Amino acid sequence: MELTLKKRKKNTIIPGFTLTLGYTMLYLSIIVLLPLSMVFFNTLSMSWSEFWETIADPRAVASYKLSFGTALAAGIINVIFGTIIAWVLVRYQFPGKRIVDGLVDLPFALPTAVAGIALATLYSPNGWVGQFFDFKIAFTPLGIIIALTFIGLPFVVRTVQPVLQNLSSEIEEASASLGATRLQTFTKVIFPELLPAIITGFSLAFARSLGEYGSVVFIAGNMPMKTEITPLIIMTKLEQYDYVGATAIATVMLITSFVLLLLINIIQWYTNRKFNLK
Amino acid sequence: MSIHIQKVSKTFGSFQALQDISIDIESGELIALLGPSGSGKTTLLRILAGLEGLDEGAILFDGQNITNVSPKERKVGFVFQHYALFRHMTVFDNVAYGLKVRPRKTRPSKEEISKKVTDLLALVKLDNFADRYPSQLSGGQRQRVALARALAVEPKVLLLDEPFGALDAKVRKELRRWLRKLHNEFHVTSIFVTHDQEEALDVANRIIVMNNGQIEQVGTPEEVYEHPNSPFVYDFLGNVNLFRGRLHKGKLTQGQFEIDVPTYLDSYDDAVGYVRPHDIQIEKEPLNNETVAAKIVHIHMVGPIVQIELKREDVDEYLEAEIPKEHYRELNINNGDTVYIRPKQLRVFIPEDFSI
Repeated sequence: MELTLKKRKKNTIIPGFTLTLGYTMLYLSIIVLLPLSMVFFNTLSMSWSEFWETIADPRAVASYKLSFGTALAAGIINVIFGTIIAWVLVRYQFPGKRIVDGLVDLPFALPTAVAGIALATLYSPNGWVGQFFDFKIAFTPLGIIIALTFIGLPFVVRTVQPVLQNLSSEIEEASASLGATRLQTFTKVIFPELLPAIITGFSLAFARSLGEYGSVVFIAGNMPMKTEITPLIIMTKLEQYDYVGATAIATVMLITSFVLLLLINIIQWYTNRKFNLK
Repeated sequence: MSIHIQKVSKTFGSFQALQDISIDIESGELIALLGPSGSGKTTLLRILAGLEGLDEGAILFDGQNITNVSPKERKVGFVFQHYALFRHMTVFDNVAYGLKVRPRKTRPSKEEISKKVTDLLALVKLDNFADRYPSQLSGGQRQRVALARALAVEPKVLLLDEPFGALDAKVRKELRRWLRKLHNEFHVTSIFVTHDQEEALDVANRIIVMNNGQIEQVGTPEEVYEHPNSPFVYDFLGNVNLFRGRLHKGKLTQGQFEIDVPTYLDSYDDAVGYVRPHDIQIEKEPLNNETVAAKIVHIHMVGPIVQIELKREDVDEYLEAEIPKEHYRELNINNGDTVYIRPKQLRVFIPEDFSI
């Protein structure tokens, strides 16, 4: 290790490699790894059977399904509409474009609880939007998806936007002069170029949705087995001073999220490979 | 396919990119659009491809007005300066693209596409690179892929936008020769844009010299080089030396220096004589009034032609002369020597005529 570090130091003209790497490691350890390892550490105080009982509780299992299912659905919705928004923001000029551009970031800035209450009010059966629908939106998984779509939107827009901006118009012109229709140009030329960014945006939005608590609890209704998300179960256990139980559920979420993100990253790496061969 | 460009004008905001351009191009010609940057040559090419609209005028392909036809239907092959290859597709898929996107009725079968692409890749000498991605190729190889891709759709016109601009000198020369060969085999009407006069003179059958959105001169390489019709063309195609003076009774005079220019009988107070470096004769002794004393500043001796930089002793002006190496040896001259030079061939332009 020391040898490779020394070697690297000699071969590069960019200063501060050891310093910045050291800082990165320390920072990641304190901010990310240490708190996460506490989750595992706490869980270790349980026996296997206790652990299994906690995580395989039907209420918990229903919540995993709900949390991952709604996060996935919201991620997919965001990919479609986020890409369209990014497209509009990059490709067209219209009055108020900057305002629209600013609106995209709003879900980042708004306290999630505020968003949750606002959405719940709007989509409740008597709300401004809810009253026009025959079926219930708030207090159902549909409501949860809406809340998660709201908070995940900026991720896709902000990752796709710069890539779209840097996409040279030449490749579109080349495609057109070779006889492709606009749709073919989009599906065969533009979309593949955007795909890595779309996957990144999706994984960010998905990961964010998995852990979302504030905006969801208000619109979800929190009925056990139906609209109870995993973060809420963790919260409930904490309120009952069942710290170990909370961390056990958290461990499941953590590992599942990690595996899913890893998978997305592998797909990402695979699609990226051909762009960066040299 | 013949191309007729009729009175085409184009403005970008307040910038007049093209001004009343009219040219007729015969089927099978290899044309160079030559001009400095901002002269409108790329705009004209893009208008021909349909990638840019025009404000006034019309474009006719084989007598058919295609001014408002989309690029998709024009059947032109366009080669971009920076290749514009599809990064996520292999070389094979890039070349096959134009065939694969055809509507099912006219689309060739998979085997036909495969055969055609393989043939084209052999033509551009990239048979072994079919499975590579563009990022794995060098600049010259990428440009050849771009050419093969444009040729795959069997275009009636091949348009190339500074095709060799981003390549190094050696590859550029090779591709130039290759393009000419290709054109001889396929006889597809080809137009390429360049700002490199050497490239234009070397490759094209006919050169269109453009400046400020207008056509300065159209002609064969020999015509535009030997008989430029404006100071701009003179200056743009090769190096040139200027002799300013007074034109009177068939003589251009400047102080002691006097040259006979029998074809110019009018009188002008200030006229400019244009002389190519290889039309400058160097003598060690003054011959008559037609020679002017100059001091050798620098001798550049690589290759069969010796380039000599001189500073005139009567006025503060620099001159450039090119003489064969043998002649240079006979003269036996060195840096700092004073020699006498004489323009062998001189073309006079009157500034008022071409004030832009």
